[in-house]
Amino acid sequence: MLEFIISKYNFWFYVVLMMIGLFAMLAKRNLVKKLIGMNIFQTAIILFYVSIGVKKGSVHVPIIIGGHGHGVQLIHAADYLNPLPHVLMLTAIVVSIATTGVALAVMILIYNRYQTLNEDEIIHIRQARQEAGV
Amino acid sequence: MKNIILTFVILTGGFLIYGTIDMPAWGDPQSPANSYVSPRYIEQALEKTETPNIVTAVLADYRGYDTMGETTVIFTAAIACALLLRGSTVGRKESE
Amino acid sequence: MPQQFPALIIVIPLLAALLTAPLGALSRRLCYPWLVLIMGLTLCLALAIIGQVINSGPISYHMGGWEPPWGIEYKIDQLNALMMVLITGAGFLGALYSGPSFEQELPGRQTLATTLYFLMITGLLGIVITGDLFNVFVFLEIASLSGYGLIACGSADAPLATFRYIIMGTIGASCYLLGVGYLYISTGSLNLADLHNLLPQLYHSRVVLTAGALMLVGISLKMALFPLHAWLPEAYYEAPSAISGVVAPLYTKVGGYLMLRIIYNLFEPRFFIEIFPITTILSWAAVCALLIGSIYAIAQKDLKKMLCYSVIAQVGYIVLGIALANRAGFTSAILTIVNEVCTKSCIFLATGAIIYRLGNSRIDNLQHLYRRMPLTMLAFTVGVFSMVGIPPTCGFFSKLYLLFGCVAAGQWSFIVALLLSTILNVIYFFRVIKAACFEDPQPDYSRTEDYPQVEVEEVPAAMLIPILIAASAIVITGLGSHWIIINIINPMIPVGF
Repeated sequence: MLEFIISKYNFWFYVVLMMIGLFAMLAKRNLVKKLIGMNIFQTAIILFYVSIGVKKGSVHVPIIIGGHGHGVQLIHAADYLNPLPHVLMLTAIVVSIATTGVALAVMILIYNRYQTLNEDEIIHIRQARQEAGV
Repeated sequence: MKNIILTFVILTGGFLIYGTIDMPAWGDPQSPANSYVSPRYIEQALEKTETPNIVTAVLADYRGYDTMGETTVIFTAAIACALLLRGSTVGRKESE
Repeated sequence: MPQQFPALIIVIPLLAALLTAPLGALSRRLCYPWLVLIMGLTLCLALAIIGQVINSGPISYHMGGWEPPWGIEYKIDQLNALMMVLITGAGFLGALYSGPSFEQELPGRQTLATTLYFLMITGLLGIVITGDLFNVFVFLEIASLSGYGLIACGSADAPLATFRYIIMGTIGASCYLLGVGYLYISTGSLNLADLHNLLPQLYHSRVVLTAGALMLVGISLKMALFPLHAWLPEAYYEAPSAISGVVAPLYTKVGGYLMLRIIYNLFEPRFFIEIFPITTILSWAAVCALLIGSIYAIAQKDLKKMLCYSVIAQVGYIVLGIALANRAGFTSAILTIVNEVCTKSCIFLATGAIIYRLGNSRIDNLQHLYRRMPLTMLAFTVGVFSMVGIPPTCGFFSKLYLLFGCVAAGQWSFIVALLLSTILNVIYFFRVIKAACFEDPQPDYSRTEDYPQVEVEEVPAAMLIPILIAASAIVITGLGSHWIIINIINPMIPVGF
């Protein structure tokens, strides 16, 4: 049982982190907090992926030792960490930054129109404007 | 409303954790992720791409096409921001 | 050269996006012909590819020469090629239409909007062409981000609708990404064809089960399947007309394509039927979608909003076809995608034309429209016929096959729902036609004086032509549906169906 927990607990932490993000995205009424939730959610997924790349017993980061000269020994795959998840996550990080950027730009437009970023207040203002016929 | 969302989120989390039960142990060198595709990157990257950094080799060569997509994502975001924010200033009222 | 077409079809719109900025700096007027030219070129490429695929079978293209599963593979079979033709076709029509439309709705911002338009098409093409699960995610995000940007520059309330779309879209994409991660951890591969061979031994693993569910939920969010549809109507309603004329026909259908791939080509349908009966849930969600979408559509007072709800209903048709998991259901899912792209692009572009002339699209504002804009309304009517399912439009054949599918699956309640939703379709569309035909709610047969003179005021030819092309495409795909089934759908039907 203990072994089972030790071999899995890190995944559970990411799930908890993800759920914190998801909750913020769905339940918070402030748009900035929603965006922060989105970032937590995406970061948790990135952590999950990176942790797939861990290999017990491998001692090197995925940079081949002596790769610049002619001193390359026979390369054992078991000695190096798995590079693929890192590659994927470099892309995912960029995607998450890009999404955040666009969301912030959209938020500026929302603020210009309603002078607030609270969803309840925005809905209130919209109703008031609709009744006034604007 | 918050309680409904909380329940939903906890159920989702439970489902995700249920999925981890059958996962290979963390850091297992024999797990499929570490033993199926990736060893070949490590063993052949230097020979085929002349790049000692394997992450770079995979990023810019084996999966270079993904990286092109990645730069396109950033470009898209930049253009989208420019399109949206053209002529707008933070905190400016629309009527002004 | 022809063997490089799969790469070129992505590269050309991407390069065009990069070149738009200098071109627009030179003169803003150049953007429109440039957009039309490049979109026409991509359409030709897509047609060349589908010709190649039909004549000589699926194409496999290795990006950078790395063999799969180490590198990224393009695997183009009949379905990809068909989707590419649909995307470039709708993209071309939208491009033709965009000239006067951008000028009216996005004055001074045509260069940036054109750039994003190219990127949107690149993203959508990238999703359907690739055979690598992670690559799908990257291009999904390109398509989504450009979609967010283009939608948010619509009406004054568009940013808020877009923000909700961003939140929901990101949850969807992240769920998909997490699902891919779960598959990666249990198989070590990201290549679709490779995973298809590896997965059957792992069907009883909980990881794979969770991965399948996560991916399907993610895609359902992206394609606005009931009950995850709440973001869609507002976002599409607030978008500029040229954009909703492209986004509405394409985004949800590309989601439908991905769902089809996941259920039939990534997993085998038996996994979702026997081991993890998610098709049952999906089919009930689809039935709810097509009923609730139609009911909401009836309640709308605005034509464009009504169409947005009908998008949700149509997503129901596609998913129902997929989830029935039999031969006729599969055929109807693909036919519905074809039909929907043609119909929605016709109807949304026509609605955009109405808004261009009238300033809004409230249904009680449409009086005399058949006399004011006869050609636009003719096209609109053809679109309505296809939505309702009147032969010889493609909508008739897709609904017919869906009925066959329900009968084959023995699901009588679905048939009732289908017929009911068709009746609802008739109600809400003919309400529009009635409003556009007659001056008053009730035609007055006793009147003796002449009707008031109404000037014919069609929209500019650049907007009218794509509407008419889309309308004729509806009829052509209807008449040619037999050809589509034999040449494109039949080779795709999984073994054992």
